[in-house]
Amino acid sequence: MNTLSFTLPEALAAKEPPERRGIARDDVKLMVLRRNGAVQHSQFKQIDQFLRPGDLLVFNASRTLPASLKGRVTTFSSSLEAPALGSSAAAGLEVRLAHRQQDGSWLALLLCQTDLRQKENRFACSMYAGMQIDFGQGLTALVETRDQRIPRLWRLRFSLSGNALIDKLHQLGQPIRYSYVSAPWDLDYYQTVYASVPGSAEMPSAGRAFTWQLLFKLKQQGIDAAHIVLHTGLSSYMDDALDEQHPASEEEYFISEKAAEKINQTRRRGGRIIAVGTTVVRALESVVDAQSVVQAGHGYTRLFIDADHKLEAVDGLLTGMHEPEASHLDLLTAFVPPAQLEPAYKEAVRQEYLWHEFGDLNLIL
Amino acid sequence: MAASARNMANEDMVAESMATQALKGKYVLITGASQGLGRQLSLTFTEAGAAGIAIVARDKAALEAVQREVEAIRSGAGSTVAIAAQVQTAADIDRALNEIKSQLEQSIQRPQVVAIAADLSRPADVERVIATTLSAFDGRLDVLINNASCIGLSPMPYLLDYPLEDFKNVLSTNLIAPFLLIKKALPALIGRGGSIINVTSDAGVTGYPGWGAYGISKFGIEGLSQTWAAELEGSGVRVNWVDPGDMNTAMHRAAEPGEDPTQWADPAEVTDVFVYLASDSANAVNGQRFQAQESNWGVRALRSVA
Repeated sequence: MNTLSFTLPEALAAKEPPERRGIARDDVKLMVLRRNGAVQHSQFKQIDQFLRPGDLLVFNASRTLPASLKGRVTTFSSSLEAPALGSSAAAGLEVRLAHRQQDGSWLALLLCQTDLRQKENRFACSMYAGMQIDFGQGLTALVETRDQRIPRLWRLRFSLSGNALIDKLHQLGQPIRYSYVSAPWDLDYYQTVYASVPGSAEMPSAGRAFTWQLLFKLKQQGIDAAHIVLHTGLSSYMDDALDEQHPASEEEYFISEKAAEKINQTRRRGGRIIAVGTTVVRALESVVDAQSVVQAGHGYTRLFIDADHKLEAVDGLLTGMHEPEASHLDLLTAFVPPAQLEPAYKEAVRQEYLWHEFGDLNLIL
Repeated sequence: MAASARNMANEDMVAESMATQALKGKYVLITGASQGLGRQLSLTFTEAGAAGIAIVARDKAALEAVQREVEAIRSGAGSTVAIAAQVQTAADIDRALNEIKSQLEQSIQRPQVVAIAADLSRPADVERVIATTLSAFDGRLDVLINNASCIGLSPMPYLLDYPLEDFKNVLSTNLIAPFLLIKKALPALIGRGGSIINVTSDAGVTGYPGWGAYGISKFGIEGLSQTWAAELEGSGVRVNWVDPGDMNTAMHRAAEPGEDPTQWADPAEVTDVFVYLASDSANAVNGQRFQAQESNWGVRALRSVA
């Protein structure tokens, strides 16, 4: 667990996407943090000044799902933990999808449909294995079991699967939004421009600021791109105690032969691998072998990265600004020791960097 | 002009494309696919070897009927396979038969067909169409055909009398939806040298009285196509647009009820240029306007300076 200590003022939450606060998508701030602790403050659209021809940016091409669904509990299976039916049993639930499992079921966070700012009420309604949730338009889900590793998550089995489920989620769902945003921004705002494979519960937001124009410009400068996929889970279980434990969720990744070859070739030629997002670090460090060669493949990872982890696959990281208690900060300490990370973060607070998915960025090289 | 006016060069190019399964392995998204040109493109592209076809339209029942037609097509059916083998024993014969079976299975493919009922005038439906398509095809897409369009009010009033809401609806379906579809499909297209084909019209270059909203939306498609083509120059993704000419379709009959539809081409007669533009044969073709029923497809390079 990280040992960073800094206070994040509420005012530094990015409440709107940059395009909705009067600046361009790529017109956000960039803190450049060298692995020796040196810090520069710049603009993201000038990121090319910190990269070299021959470097490779590795993006997570996972597309964000509208992973928040509203449903009503309809029935209980008599053979399972049936509760005494009370008023709370008939109440609505918000279901936040976290991960699709190999057997087609989903792990999901169930929240009482209440004012989520009232923490004590979030889980105060009945939630039992065997209950069925009706989302409307013919979509239902059976709640099977509670997850053993992350007990706020439940295993759900939907009445639809595959394309039919993806189609229905897009008719019924909303993007997962947190209380700091100022408006219910459309799903569009929660996508990177290059997202191609639907499956993430939340946007892999480190790459959000990239525009096509910037990507084309970087390519012209000899800074190439590769794409992998890691479907992200939830950044918060809406339970402070659980969130502080940073339980390592299991996330699905795909690394194509083409991407693996590009990464390995870049390293052989002396170029740097810059991960765009902690998800990319997690995926690549999960598949790198003892000779530092990245292997193509599809799998699930629960790799937890912190200061004790020796990075083998990546040389740099572009990431957002992380909250004091976020597990992502642990991952950052694999790049930069906490003693150097902390003053940089404190300086970012002083310079009023914005946090969260619509906020400013940090390049670690 | 009927298909008979096309020149032999076109015929040869397309015959070659079909014979060589020009679209083999390609993943395609076609809007407005429940009838007319879109339906025909779905069938033709399947015959040309497409590996996956996502078809989109508002009318779910009609779309599912097209889905069944597409599924009934086995691309590569009628293929000939040749193997070289010395056949002396029963085991040799078994081996040869297995080899023939294996080659035939490889050449006769059943395309993956995804039918998505959607109203493209709604941006949320556009996202749903793209997400469902990319989910089905594991993030792969090679060809996007923006064919869906609506004629608007019928009979078509003059602009002088066109109600605002109906005008907006036509632009939403015919112009804003293609803009959004291109934007959202681009991540998948860009790594695969994708092809975008927008369907335009003569009414997109000439202002005809009474064709107000529809014609203006097609003027927009001409500009949209030119601008996308210019911005994507060098990206590997190409954008071209096709005026299919007069076709005997339900939409055209509704637009011009007083005309004789037998004078118009069957949609099957105008698909050649689409197959060509979707194929790798056209991978250097960007920013051009085609007229499906003209000699040499009436190609006009209208590319802007990037």
